[in-house]
Amino acid sequence: MQAAVTGTLVLVGAGLMLIAAIGVVRMPDLFTRMQATTKAATLGAGLVMLGTAVHFATFSVTTRAVAAVAFVLLTAPIAAHLLGRAAYFLGVPLWEGSVRDELRDRYDWETHILASEVRPESPLAPEHPPLQTPKP
Amino acid sequence: MNGSFPVNGFIEVTAMLMMSAGLVLAMVRLVRGPSLPDRVVALDLITMLGLGMLAVYSMSTERTAYLDVGIVLTLVTFIATISFAYFIEKGTGRGGGN
Amino acid sequence: MIGLLWILLLALAWTAVNGEFTGSQLAVGLVLGTLMTLFVRAPGNDYLRKALVLFGFIGFFLWELVVANLRMARDVLSPRPRFAPGVIAVPLDLKSEGQITAFANLLTLTPGTLSLDISRDLKVLYIHDMYAADAEASREAVKSGFERRIRRLLE
Repeated sequence: MQAAVTGTLVLVGAGLMLIAAIGVVRMPDLFTRMQATTKAATLGAGLVMLGTAVHFATFSVTTRAVAAVAFVLLTAPIAAHLLGRAAYFLGVPLWEGSVRDELRDRYDWETHILASEVRPESPLAPEHPPLQTPKP
Repeated sequence: MNGSFPVNGFIEVTAMLMMSAGLVLAMVRLVRGPSLPDRVVALDLITMLGLGMLAVYSMSTERTAYLDVGIVLTLVTFIATISFAYFIEKGTGRGGGN
Repeated sequence: MIGLLWILLLALAWTAVNGEFTGSQLAVGLVLGTLMTLFVRAPGNDYLRKALVLFGFIGFFLWELVVANLRMARDVLSPRPRFAPGVIAVPLDLKSEGQITAFANLLTLTPGTLSLDISRDLKVLYIHDMYAADAEASREAVKSGFERRIRRLLE
């Protein structure tokens, strides 16, 4: 029973991480790649760690596994937010199949402050060509 | 605990193979880029895969010390990613800080 | 909150009496503690409702996590991309920074959405959505899912 639970957790976790890796290679732009790693890789690593907790079934391993899972779940979104923001300023383009970009008009490209409304066009934002007209 | 996980068994080998394949794919992205954030995402994924592989290895060898290595690995990589993001944004020349 | 503390204390007491501190003992203790507080409800105390909301929230989160990964797998493995990603602005009803942080982090872990940045005045959250073809529908889905639940839980 214990071995079956461990095996399932480990296999599903490893499979999810493999899917994340395939996604990182196949996805068309940085942001869709980050979608793949923040979801699949995070849950995959978490499941494998839970598998070790079930396998060893001791208090010290369980606390360590739970701490690791909690840490991964807490840090992955923060890292994604910071990296996505930095990449946006760097001018990493969105995939040409993207349908809308409501972020571009709202940054102050001088101070990097983000407003809640659309700003006048800034001369400092040439790195991001506006998307073509959104598809219906 | 003894033998409840099939040592050198099907599950362990399959999981290791899947994660190794993932490692190769992440390496492809690491080499191809094209932008620096893409490479940072690949490095992040490599750490996750390392954590998973260390966990599976700790089960097959019955040594829990590998788990600590994995935890420290994720901690360090988180800091690394944050610093990468910080310096990428600083490196765009303007603004920075928030 | 006090009620949750009571459940936790009862669970710890259960494990202490049993003499072995394991995860399953703690789980049994938590279940028994919840049942106990069900029967000894003090008037004017709504912690039981809070506890149920919390359990519902955890269940909802785990379910969303599973859906997120199934959808991700489908997107990654399908031969031709079927998604239409985009960045959309979501106006926030949440006020405190803690609630917004929780909301943004949970969004990143759930189907198709990734929190990118928040406006300086904390009024609008910008997210990357895998299915942004209908921006209004995306906004509505995000707001009626996690935001409503976070408000119920934390207010």
